Amino acid sequence: MNSTAHNVQEPSGPAQEQTVLEMQGVSKLIKGKAIVDNLSFKIHKGEIVGLLGPNGAGKTTTIRMMTGLIRMSGGDVLIHGHSIRKEFKQAISQIGAIIENPEFYPHMTGYDNLLQYLRMSDGAGVSRIKEVVELVGLQEAMNKKVRAYSLGMRQRLGIAQALLHSPKLLILDEPTNGLDPAGIREMRDYMRRIAEVEGIAILISSHMLAEIEQICHRAVVIQNGKLVTVTQLTEVPEARSEVALTIRVDKLEAARTVAGALQGVKVTGADEAHFELHVQLPDGAVPELVAALSEAKVGIYRITENRQSLEEDFLKWTGGNRIA
Amino acid sequence: MRKFNLLVLNEWLKISKKRSNIIPYVILLVLSLAVGYMTRTFAADMYASAADFTADSLQPRGIGQLLAILVIVGTAGIVSREYSQGTIKFLLIRARSRTAILASKYVTVLLYTLSMQVVATVGLFLSGAVFFGLSGGEAGIGEILTSLLYSTVYCTVYATIGFMLGILTKSTGVTIGATIFATTIDKLVISREFYKYVLFPNLNLAAYKDGGAPMQGMTLTFSIILLCIYMTLFLLAGFAVFRRRDVA
Repeated sequence: MNSTAHNVQEPSGPAQEQTVLEMQGVSKLIKGKAIVDNLSFKIHKGEIVGLLGPNGAGKTTTIRMMTGLIRMSGGDVLIHGHSIRKEFKQAISQIGAIIENPEFYPHMTGYDNLLQYLRMSDGAGVSRIKEVVELVGLQEAMNKKVRAYSLGMRQRLGIAQALLHSPKLLILDEPTNGLDPAGIREMRDYMRRIAEVEGIAILISSHMLAEIEQICHRAVVIQNGKLVTVTQLTEVPEARSEVALTIRVDKLEAARTVAGALQGVKVTGADEAHFELHVQLPDGAVPELVAALSEAKVGIYRITENRQSLEEDFLKWTGGNRIA
Repeated sequence: MRKFNLLVLNEWLKISKKRSNIIPYVILLVLSLAVGYMTRTFAADMYASAADFTADSLQPRGIGQLLAILVIVGTAGIVSREYSQGTIKFLLIRARSRTAILASKYVTVLLYTLSMQVVATVGLFLSGAVFFGLSGGEAGIGEILTSLLYSTVYCTVYATIGFMLGILTKSTGVTIGATIFATTIDKLVISREFYKYVLFPNLNLAAYKDGGAPMQGMTLTFSIILLCIYMTLFLLAGFAVFRRRDVA
């Protein structure tokens, strides 16, 4: 498993395999119905992992069990080897989290709110507030009451709050909920910076697939509380042998004949209205195909890759848009 | 212990940073003056001195009942508001046990009750000094402190009821409503044997002053033991629920 192959800092040796979070067969039963069913997965240091699932799949319940907000019916969650059930304080001190919307005491300033959380954590001094506030760029708003904050500002204060005690794992539940496109982009930049600057693992729960696809290294897909699949998102190009291409040409019939004659190339369809040919072929055979087409005097306007998006995968895994 | 004190400081700041926090203290001072003025106007020879006036007015059947109501309003939201604001999530994902967090809240409730008592006592004494003068009378500092103790017991029991209801119902409104309703009916006496085991007749320890009793067969010790039992039950219920409850 080369889960950290695309990690920017390329941590060396054993650090790569250091497990920050381990879910061990976690279950939650409510009135005999399994909301989360025997869920197991791991998150390593420096990884950004997405927790994906349709509405009602059990994402929020899972996250609330990781943070000890709700009790699990079975299994255990280990944070840096500490059980959240038996060694709550040691385990939770490694976690920073925003669960659903970040809510603060509205009649207090941003600074006073952060002080509240600082007084509840061990080891961090007042200077740490300045650091995290600078990281999220809220310097100007620190002396304003939280009541006057926009949702975007509250999200940033939420991140500041989560990073205050220098956790090893950051858990974000629907972090872009209710944010405008600029806010979403800003959020993404923060998360990247946090992963790089602070070097911590991040777990993001979302049903916004494009979001997950853009920033996560891996995605854990759950449905009806069960693990569906764990998938690598940033794939290494060499690893994929087959590619699907759409080629727009001037002479469709000629192109079809040329492509069909080449070994390894499979013509999967043609769109006569748009002069497009759909082919499937090994990655290494692409130059060959282009050369052959040119030789046959077939003009090429465009070549586009038909990548199966995460969305299609997701619908395939979760069986359409059924709500559990 | 330092960690726990910081938790209490947090809770105290959550209450005191509200701009409206000053209002109950102002109400107490204004009311003390108003009561003093009215007593002076309509029953001038009722009290001989400030100490007389303070010791008498502070009791649960005097300004004490209002004190209890103000304490309830001030502290009813200490747990339930964390739920309604959604701040409970950030509060409980810290390296502090739920027991410590709830205990710090209860200590804050007690501190708030005490602060109200002190302000009421000072307010009444000032009012007494203005309208009845400092000299003369029978009562001294001892009587004032005894009244303060009765009033504190009464308010603390109500604050504890409110604290428990706030945890159980997670609703500030229900907590305030139910507890204030209780303060209005606690003076009722049902002349049946079982009623002396109910909380209400035991609340006002001032009733034992001068050898009296709220009901036949009740003694000061009996009431104190009963109050202790009730308080323990309220707190056990509150802590047990808060510790176990899923925050969904």
